[in-house]
Amino acid sequence: MAISISDLFKSDNVSEGGKLMAKQRRFAYTSLVPILLYMGLFTLFPILFAMVMSLFSYTPIREGSGFLDLGGANPFIGINNFIELATGTGKPAEVFRLAVWNTFLFTVLVLPLNLIITLPLAVLLESISQKFKILFRAIYFLPTISSTVALAIIWEYMYAPGWGLLSLMFKAVGLVPPKSWLQDPNAIYFGVPLAMICVVIAHVWQDFGYNLVIFVAALQSIPKTLREAARVDGATRWQEFWLVVVPLLRRTILLTSVLTVISSLQVFVIFQLLSRGGPKNQTQTMVLSIYENAFRFSNNLGLASAMSMILFIIILVLTVTQFRILRTEWEY
Amino acid sequence: MKTPPTKRLSPGFILGKSGAYAVLILGLVATLLPFFYIIVSSLKTDAELRQTPPDFFSKDPTLKHYITILTDENIPIERNVLNSVVVALARVAITLFTSSFAGYIFAKYHFKGKNLAFGVILIQIMIPFQVVMIPNYLLIVKFGLIDSLWALIIPSMVDAYGIFMMKQFIESMPAELMDAARIDGASEFGIYSRIILPQMGPALASLGVFTFMATWNDYLWPLIVLTSPENRTIPLLLVWFQTQHSSNQGLILAASILTLIPIFLVYIFLQRWIVDQATSSAFK
Repeated sequence: MAISISDLFKSDNVSEGGKLMAKQRRFAYTSLVPILLYMGLFTLFPILFAMVMSLFSYTPIREGSGFLDLGGANPFIGINNFIELATGTGKPAEVFRLAVWNTFLFTVLVLPLNLIITLPLAVLLESISQKFKILFRAIYFLPTISSTVALAIIWEYMYAPGWGLLSLMFKAVGLVPPKSWLQDPNAIYFGVPLAMICVVIAHVWQDFGYNLVIFVAALQSIPKTLREAARVDGATRWQEFWLVVVPLLRRTILLTSVLTVISSLQVFVIFQLLSRGGPKNQTQTMVLSIYENAFRFSNNLGLASAMSMILFIIILVLTVTQFRILRTEWEY
Repeated sequence: MKTPPTKRLSPGFILGKSGAYAVLILGLVATLLPFFYIIVSSLKTDAELRQTPPDFFSKDPTLKHYITILTDENIPIERNVLNSVVVALARVAITLFTSSFAGYIFAKYHFKGKNLAFGVILIQIMIPFQVVMIPNYLLIVKFGLIDSLWALIIPSMVDAYGIFMMKQFIESMPAELMDAARIDGASEFGIYSRIILPQMGPALASLGVFTFMATWNDYLWPLIVLTSPENRTIPLLLVWFQTQHSSNQGLILAASILTLIPIFLVYIFLQRWIVDQATSSAFK
């Protein structure tokens, strides 16, 4: 049996072991210092600086008096950015309040649609032969790995009024397709703008493979005996799904739900390229507002940072929830 | 435990099975239909593309749009493809090194402040990119890296999730080999490079493929920091291309299909690593 370093330390050869340990510690510290300095610069500093900027009227075009152009022409304004976002009548603030609502609406639509598709598909995938299971799973995952920019272009064509596939399918079954899928501000169904519905469908189509593979992996870890026992007791497939599979997957479902919500809050590309925030800001989201206020229209980094802080707090609460779910003990 | 053979042969079970396949195939069609429709549309002639209502299939399929993109001198794709390849490979190499090296330190060394250091690194996972992108943009401006490919590489050299994953992987490796190497006089870095690294193939493959694809498809950060046409990466080229040729649908569709081909090729060969990585990343 090989001697481990801790054995050395325990034996009478203390000084030799101590020297070895000191040498290893030195190596560990000198290796980690550059990595930690790097994290300080590109993770800790940015998060702190974003907090600071959210309390300033800040634009990089103006030269300030202090550190990184803070102060002077970029004055400290306390929580005025947040007050403006909450109650102000400026155009960015009004659009942002709508964006918060739209982001919430998008998330609330995406989550159940995603689960309704992925859970049953995962159960069905689990029931077929291994060879086909791998093939199907690989294909379902294809949109997930695709460039969202390319997919946004593909879906713009799918929704094209004249020659898009969706209009063609509507006509094929005798329905009248909407005049415009993405640009008609008056097309609203059950309080949800049509453009938003279109983005939700395109996004869920791209994203469902992700949760699907997670559910398939989780199902594989459920002991088969439990489901067989239910079948032997005469449960229908429907009962087996609701009374055995769903309760056993509760923790995984909860976890993927939180992850899906976190990622839905941050969706950017498809809103920017497919619906372009329109029509009449009906698909304007928080992330789109942050990007546009910081880099497109106004270079108002202070206000944009305040917006990002609001997003951060929402996501932080969800992340803490996620870690708490992960920590809970679980046994079948 | 295997399903008993009698169960497999019972009529109810077989009916359920074909029902299962019917639903799964329906899902397959829904997944592939948009790709398929764009591919067949990209093969249409300009006249066929303008026709309403259109035919599903072209009567006279042509690769004209693809050939135009690949050969027209006014469409400078070579430089942009090269940019994407260089940035992706650089980020894969750097991420694999920093993740495996830091993962090794956290997995195999005991020192004061280890949990604190690891906690600092994990903060990155909790912070949304949209929060740090504005300060990072200012840093990149201050460093004079704006509108250069370095701006895509420098801020993404350490991946907290990668470190976490590598730490898990290395923790399961036995300490005996390391100790034997030490007794033979190997340096601590030598243990990493000669003992640990060669055993990490599967973990490195998963993380590498995932990093490659994420970089290849990255759009928001390049959009913020790159401005000149010659510095564009492929997603930026595609968006620019769409605004330039908005009247020429065929070119745009062919360009988006061309963008997807490299990633699909990578996926076909490395499908298993990608799906594994996606599954495990949910439980970070």
